[in-house]
Amino acid sequence: MKQIILKRLSMLVLVLVGVTMLTFFLSHVIPGDPARMMVGQRATEETLQEVRRQLGLDQPVWVQYFTYIQGLFAGDLGTSIRTQQPVSDDLLTFFPATLELALLAFVIAILFGVPIGILSAVKKDTAWDHAGRLFSIAGVSTPVFWSGLVGILIFYKFLDWLPSSGRLDLSVPPPLKITGLYLLDSLLTGNWAAFKNSLLHLLLPSFTLAFAQLAIVTRQVRASMLEVLGQEYIRTALANGISGPVLLFRYALRNALIPTITVVGLSFGSLLGGAVVTETIFSWPGMGKYVVDSIAFLDFPAIMGFTFVISIGYVLINLLVDLTYYALNPEMKE
Amino acid sequence: MSRRWLLALLTLLFSLSLALSACSSPTNQTQDKPADPAAPKTEPAKTANETPADTLFVSISADQGTLDPAVTMDNSAWKITYHAYQRLVEYDGASTEVKPGLAKEWKVSPDGMQWTFTLQEGNKFADGTPVTAEAVKFSFDRILQIKKGPYDVYSVIKEVKVDSPTSVTFVLAKNFPPFLSTLAANYGSIVNPKVKEKEQNGDLGQNFLANNTMGSGPYQLAEWKKGEYFKLTQNPNSTVKSTFKEVYFKITPDATAQRLQLESGEIDIAEGIPTEQLGAIKELSNVEVLQQPSLFVDYVYINSSKGNPALQNPKVRQALSYAIDYKALTDSVQEGYATQMRGPIPKGLWGHDEAAFQYTQDVEKAKALLAEAGVSNLSLTLLYSDARTWWETEALTLQAFLADIGVELKLNKIANATSREMIDKGEFDLALGVWSPDFGDPFMFMNYWFDSNNFGLAGNRAFYKNDKVDELVRKAATTNDQAEREKLYQEAQKIVIDEAPYIYLYQKDFLLPVSKRVKGFVYNPMLEGIYNLAEMSK
Amino acid sequence: MSAEVHTSTVTRTVNPFWYTCRKNPLMLAGIVVLVIILLLSLFAPLISSYEPTKINIKDRFAPPSAEHWFGTDEVGRDIFTRILYGARLSLGVGVAVVLGAGLIGTVIGSISGYFGGRIDQIIMRLMDMILAFPSLVLAMAVAATLGPNLQNAMLAIAIIKIPVYVRLARAETLSLREKLYVKAAVTFGIKPWRIITRHIIPNAISPVIIQVTLDIGDAILLVATLGFLGLGAQPPTPEWGAMISVGWKHLLDYWWYPTFPGFALFLASCAFNLIGDGVRDILDPKANR
Repeated sequence: MKQIILKRLSMLVLVLVGVTMLTFFLSHVIPGDPARMMVGQRATEETLQEVRRQLGLDQPVWVQYFTYIQGLFAGDLGTSIRTQQPVSDDLLTFFPATLELALLAFVIAILFGVPIGILSAVKKDTAWDHAGRLFSIAGVSTPVFWSGLVGILIFYKFLDWLPSSGRLDLSVPPPLKITGLYLLDSLLTGNWAAFKNSLLHLLLPSFTLAFAQLAIVTRQVRASMLEVLGQEYIRTALANGISGPVLLFRYALRNALIPTITVVGLSFGSLLGGAVVTETIFSWPGMGKYVVDSIAFLDFPAIMGFTFVISIGYVLINLLVDLTYYALNPEMKE
Repeated sequence: MSRRWLLALLTLLFSLSLALSACSSPTNQTQDKPADPAAPKTEPAKTANETPADTLFVSISADQGTLDPAVTMDNSAWKITYHAYQRLVEYDGASTEVKPGLAKEWKVSPDGMQWTFTLQEGNKFADGTPVTAEAVKFSFDRILQIKKGPYDVYSVIKEVKVDSPTSVTFVLAKNFPPFLSTLAANYGSIVNPKVKEKEQNGDLGQNFLANNTMGSGPYQLAEWKKGEYFKLTQNPNSTVKSTFKEVYFKITPDATAQRLQLESGEIDIAEGIPTEQLGAIKELSNVEVLQQPSLFVDYVYINSSKGNPALQNPKVRQALSYAIDYKALTDSVQEGYATQMRGPIPKGLWGHDEAAFQYTQDVEKAKALLAEAGVSNLSLTLLYSDARTWWETEALTLQAFLADIGVELKLNKIANATSREMIDKGEFDLALGVWSPDFGDPFMFMNYWFDSNNFGLAGNRAFYKNDKVDELVRKAATTNDQAEREKLYQEAQKIVIDEAPYIYLYQKDFLLPVSKRVKGFVYNPMLEGIYNLAEMSK
Repeated sequence: MSAEVHTSTVTRTVNPFWYTCRKNPLMLAGIVVLVIILLLSLFAPLISSYEPTKINIKDRFAPPSAEHWFGTDEVGRDIFTRILYGARLSLGVGVAVVLGAGLIGTVIGSISGYFGGRIDQIIMRLMDMILAFPSLVLAMAVAATLGPNLQNAMLAIAIIKIPVYVRLARAETLSLREKLYVKAAVTFGIKPWRIITRHIIPNAISPVIIQVTLDIGDAILLVATLGFLGLGAQPPTPEWGAMISVGWKHLLDYWWYPTFPGFALFLASCAFNLIGDGVRDILDPKANR
């Protein structure tokens, strides 16, 4: 166990060094100049050079890189060129919103995906199976911007049940900040008005996002379940008169869960980084939108910060997946 | 040990998920039933969601960068904070002329090198500090020290002198007639010198003012929830009376969401709705679309020295200008909410020449001009970015028109930041561009666009050089007599229309979908997208 | 004699196929849809009399009619025609990218698994880096660096997809390396390159094929998403994602504009996913009871 953690953490360092270098140099070979974006359309060469000097952009790239890494060791992610704020502040502002959305979507995808997957496996090649798979494949095949807009049309415009944008109504003050996840914070502080309001705001975007992820879960659950159900010991158990549901949940599901966790866990990373379109449609103040704007501005401290956080998240999720593996599958050798 | 703990946790999570999914399916069914008792209950609550009369809700499409008036050159940031500050002079209603602001009167020395302003007494910053001549000096010195975007405009200032607490004199390095007009722009905002207390690492308060306001205007920035909204509240010490107690700028990137919210009455003004949809918006009972002529022009840079060598010949450039059916273009690109330009200076700004020559579509003449120039099978690139939503349609339309005169146009759509770089370096044949003046003087067009000292992004994006034009516009820029300047500019205009370093496309109308409840909005073409919040109500 | 052999092979290969199709009508549906889309796009010039890039300003935003089955767009181009021509592009690109990534990934993965040691370490850490990199940032960075066009969008998607195949192929290779016939080949002194191409890759290919069929649908969506963000095909190329990206702003007024390209995208992606599921059922012995 310790070994796994140590190995993963050493990998974290390697990956981070690689990722920062890659991002840094990528963002510097992109033709274009953040200083130029900042001084406005009509700037003269003189002003431009002055601003470049102020931002340190007149230094050679490797000097800029080492300055950046130096700051990193001091816990400084640099200052965003676009927002003129410390990048760490910006990320702290936007990360919780994305995390909350992704987490809820993740939970929804599992809530619907696991039962559908089990149903499909148990009733393999029946109408149930086909319907379940068609539903989840429809989800993964529908472009997110499409399902999102249709959701807004139905639930906001026609039914008027759900809000179309933002995390809270303007009239509802946000709950006391503990984690930055409104749902959790309002629960912890007992602020029911904020809880209800933020839940309403979350429903449309999180279901939209979950719908697109559903197939990953059902597909994996179905496949693993089929594999486990085909195994000798399950058949023996069935022959020995152990009842269906008990068998299903005590033995089959537990073993089917291991590969599911891997796949689903890894897809969570992409959920975090890939919610851009959903965030745009629902005016969700998250990181996806932040990084797209930053890329358009060539605001590389912000792009670096984002990549940094996502990479750490990815490695940590990997670690978590490994640990779960270990917990569920005691015989597994390292 | 820890393994068992993990296992227990996972089992718990999983059983919880199963239990929840079991619960969730019946709720799912009730949703489908039309007779859901929850539905009628929520509905009246939402329709009563009409916005309060003392608050204005504006939908904007993107979050902003810095708000510091000494740093930002971004129109969309100006609209948020313009009313948190006051300036020495202000634009007068809908006109491009200025009226007294913080200064009640001013005078200029005959040589145009010294401007003296007398301040109106009684104006106070939001914290109660009076606005003095010292504050004026501080604000302009700050711009000159920070040396970012606005520095370009004010580098002409040699010195700001405080004559008395209510009198301040600007000493210029050279005669610059548009100076007065620049003072009414956002970068002329007077900042509370107390910002020095917020200084970090000698940044002159840039970090603080990026997110806050410290001015004497009728409003102040109360809250900026990143990615969500800006909230302005009244400045308690302002001498200007305003009706709205609060103004929200809500960030809604998606145009469809904006439109639906405008329809439902959740917001009062929606800025991000594309022109094509305004026809449908006009049909709505609770919304009207305001339409005003603006000074915002859309044109094509023809690279006259660094692009395809054929473009160095004025005949080829004229041929391109003759290829276009301007009426059809504005119809397809702007739904007809635009007017063909008549020379570089737009209608509504002094110096505009109603008699100037206008190109019209003449395919035969265009072909003849190309033949005269000895050019055949011409193939050009058209550079544009995603910065304007309509450029894609415009590029396609231009492609079709040029095909008619036998010119192949290759479209090159790239990221905004990159396209700026390429335009600056002159790496294009043709490029799409827009321009709107910061201050009300033809200098903004004639000197920026044609002076060969301004090659590149600075303004002369056609890389056009004509000694006669250089001489005329430079003379006009240092002459004080407006009639004389107008004559000089019109003479220069004749040349640059004939030599066609740009395709003068159209002057766009200002269009704004506004709730019918909103009253008192006056559009000033110099303040593109900036609302006169203090005079508005609903 | 030869005829005998011939028929027997046919029955042997065809039978499981029809058997699977009967058991899995969804896969059959996927194949039918895909074949129809392919035929339509191949014979596009015969089916439609319009040109996909010819603009006709007078006819902008025409609703669906006998002349324009799916209506026209903002410069009067026939949407049906553009969808047909766009199918060549979207499907072609989706298939090409995934096949390319699958091929490169398999080769790298089998090398990594076969040789092990330091090579394996370096390759896998490199793959970890790519996996840890937010795919959108990677795609946008590639597009912004090399210029936004279809080739670069393809390159970006291929880079994102490669690590998955490397991992799959490596895992298979690790177990194949222990197989008797591979060990025998090594003792006979056969060159590693030959062992990898002759013995490892052919035997490791089945999970790769499953992954490829499943990925094509996803790649088509990714191409469209990049097109949607303005990083894909350049105008006036008819590309589904780019069409939707312009069209969806008009959903409320001209519903046909984003709806038909969106539906085409949905159908194509669905078809590939259904086929992928089916292929998995056939090829993956573990999934068969």
